[in-house]
Amino acid sequence: MPASTIEVKDKASQRAVDVVVAKLRRRQIFGSHETALETVLLLRQVVAAAKFNTIDQLLDMVRRVGRRLVEAQPREQSVGNIVRKVLKLIRDEYAAVAGPISQSGTSTPQLPTGLSRQPWASSVANFVLLGHPRHQGSSLSLAERSGNSTPVSVEGQLLADESNRKVSSIKPALIDAIQEVIDELETVYESVARNARDHIHSDDIVLTIGKSRTVESFLKAAARDRKFIVIVAETAPSYVFFSDFFRCTPDPLGKIVTFRYLGREMASSLSSAGISTVLVPDSCLYALMSRVNKVIIGAHAVMANGGMFAIAGSLVAASAARAHSTPVIVCTGQFKLTPLWNLHYQYASVDVGDPERVLSSVGDGGDAPEGVDIINPWFDYVKPELVDVLITNYGDHPPAYVYRLVKETYDDEDIEI
Amino acid sequence: MSTSPSRVTSSIKPSKSTLEGAIDGAHESGAFDIISAYGRQLQNEDTPMPIAAVLALTELIANSRAETMYELVEALKLGAATLKRGTPNPISLTAGCDLFIRYVTTARQESPSFSDHKNHLVREGNLYAHNLASTCREQITKLSAGFIPDEAVILTHSYSRVVIQTLIHAHKRKRISVFVTEARPLGLGVKAHEILVQAGIPCTLVLDSAVAYIMDKIDLVLVGSEAVVESGGLINAVGSYQMAIIAKAANKPLYALAESYKFLRSFPLSQYDLPSHSPNVLRVPTQHASKSSTSASRNSTSSIKSARSSNRCHPMGSRTMGNKSSASYIPLTMTVDQLANNPEVDYTRPDLITLVFSDVGILTPSGVSQFLVGIFAD
Repeated sequence: MPASTIEVKDKASQRAVDVVVAKLRRRQIFGSHETALETVLLLRQVVAAAKFNTIDQLLDMVRRVGRRLVEAQPREQSVGNIVRKVLKLIRDEYAAVAGPISQSGTSTPQLPTGLSRQPWASSVANFVLLGHPRHQGSSLSLAERSGNSTPVSVEGQLLADESNRKVSSIKPALIDAIQEVIDELETVYESVARNARDHIHSDDIVLTIGKSRTVESFLKAAARDRKFIVIVAETAPSYVFFSDFFRCTPDPLGKIVTFRYLGREMASSLSSAGISTVLVPDSCLYALMSRVNKVIIGAHAVMANGGMFAIAGSLVAASAARAHSTPVIVCTGQFKLTPLWNLHYQYASVDVGDPERVLSSVGDGGDAPEGVDIINPWFDYVKPELVDVLITNYGDHPPAYVYRLVKETYDDEDIEI
Repeated sequence: MSTSPSRVTSSIKPSKSTLEGAIDGAHESGAFDIISAYGRQLQNEDTPMPIAAVLALTELIANSRAETMYELVEALKLGAATLKRGTPNPISLTAGCDLFIRYVTTARQESPSFSDHKNHLVREGNLYAHNLASTCREQITKLSAGFIPDEAVILTHSYSRVVIQTLIHAHKRKRISVFVTEARPLGLGVKAHEILVQAGIPCTLVLDSAVAYIMDKIDLVLVGSEAVVESGGLINAVGSYQMAIIAKAANKPLYALAESYKFLRSFPLSQYDLPSHSPNVLRVPTQHASKSSTSASRNSTSSIKSARSSNRCHPMGSRTMGNKSSASYIPLTMTVDQLANNPEVDYTRPDLITLVFSDVGILTPSGVSQFLVGIFAD
């Protein structure tokens, strides 16, 4: 989308949007947490600088910015999640100020789907959609039909005008609400780890893979009260995060200065926190599983059906765990819950890492074997059946409940940004 | 079937004696006959059973002389119970009745006059019934579109309007091919096959017994439903359950398509908890012999023979049992009696269902019960 159609008038915000879009595209911001944080900071700036007369204008503006971000990097699902969350916040704040009359002045904002906003919708249909008898307004459909024949009733027009005047006054509340999202993101690891001691028992043997900051803080929090052993798979060949990769390659020739296995980093980090840690190669996960009490892994994104994308190797760990009936625990912040169903990439990796990582494990920085293609998938899709529980910053949930959390967190109208 | 005792698991059914008394009373006063109203509504082929039930109840309100809410709701409950008793397979119409009665009991009365309120209810009921069925299906079609990949091979069971619509919708955008089961005993799969072929979809008719054979070629299974129950399980034309078991064994996703008016507040634990189940269904031959009025003292073999002789146009498979080298190998079909002994619907357990697509959104099977609780909990 050309930048000229973006309705962000403010030059500074425009530039900030362009910068974040470019960074996302170049993978200079990488990882669900980092991208989420960048997104919400950007949106705060956009909203703070925005000039708008109606709530629709503001929503549209935020949605346009969000669409650019999502299109810049569709693999970072948390970008879209944060945009949806901010849109929902705007709607909620507005509803709190303007009361039950929504932007069009004909339907209540609480209605969960776009379906009910159609003129034919009877109160029975609304009743079904709302799923709760107490919330329904039976006068609603009458208003809708009268509003259908005559453009908008005079009373409704007056109300709409009045609420428009209130629009500009919601900005401070809106900024506060966005600030809460930022605070939540900044404390998400501690929040997830809050009940760690209830999930890990003394003398447990816990297996993990990759280096998830959520899992790391979870295990360290548990280590304050419990003595347990962590087995870490070295997670070859996913040596570094992309962001680390950019940071640690100052060499203009593009030579990699340092290599770090994610698993090794995780192991040394846990070990320095005083946890008994065992580092193992990825290939022996199945063999070790019979001794493991629980598998704890992080997620990149959790889909609406409870399935998730996680670092490559997670599927091996989860499948091996299932074969031994070992519980699989997923630690994730709620900002990773994505209101999308895993449609098109069910059995394929969504992202592919640098093949040089695979190459360099062949020889020392070495040459590719002749005529061999090399790919380095970055993520696994782990099906919901393989996951036992999701530990989030707002409590523990079974995977089958994710769709509900998603429904509560985001507005149905924002699912497609 | 209509003589079999009704086993509707609804809590609103009044005791039999009061019910019959009331019905007699209704007939005497020449009042509204809900069963014929229901039948009239069903004559329109596009009207699904739950919606026909809603329309019949709406007519009941329009004809009702009730002066208070309590009277009206009692009359509705009575009407629903009559309707259920008068229909051989009351499962899906129960869902419509329950929903509408629940709506009436919770609707707020806006005008001071009760007759105005009744008119309002009638209006709303008609509006709902006339608009919703097709819109529901469109919504489901839209939701499920993303789950059908290009070049998908889809297996479906029997005939379902929403499945057909979904497949035709998908066909316009993607290359799909479809296998449809014949769905004995009604053979509605043949009808579905015809419609799909007419729409230009590569479509093959499959024997019900060949589902396991075909399963490895399938990408996903789509089934419609007669009702979706509180456990998240599914009541559908018989054969859905075995299809779901086979799909699960082969690790293929099974998606159920169900309009929200098919959500039924019932919690069957097994096949035999369904309202449509009666002791007549699939009984053991000895029981058959002892209960049958014509062949009380005969053993099972002779009863089969008698059945054969009484239905010469339907030579039976059992013929080959005693006489394998039978020269005249006539097409094998079951007798009407034998068919009547078989179930029409079965119950598919929720753990076999991947997702339920409905007009209120995409639900996991456990989400269905949450939705039902949302509507019916006080």
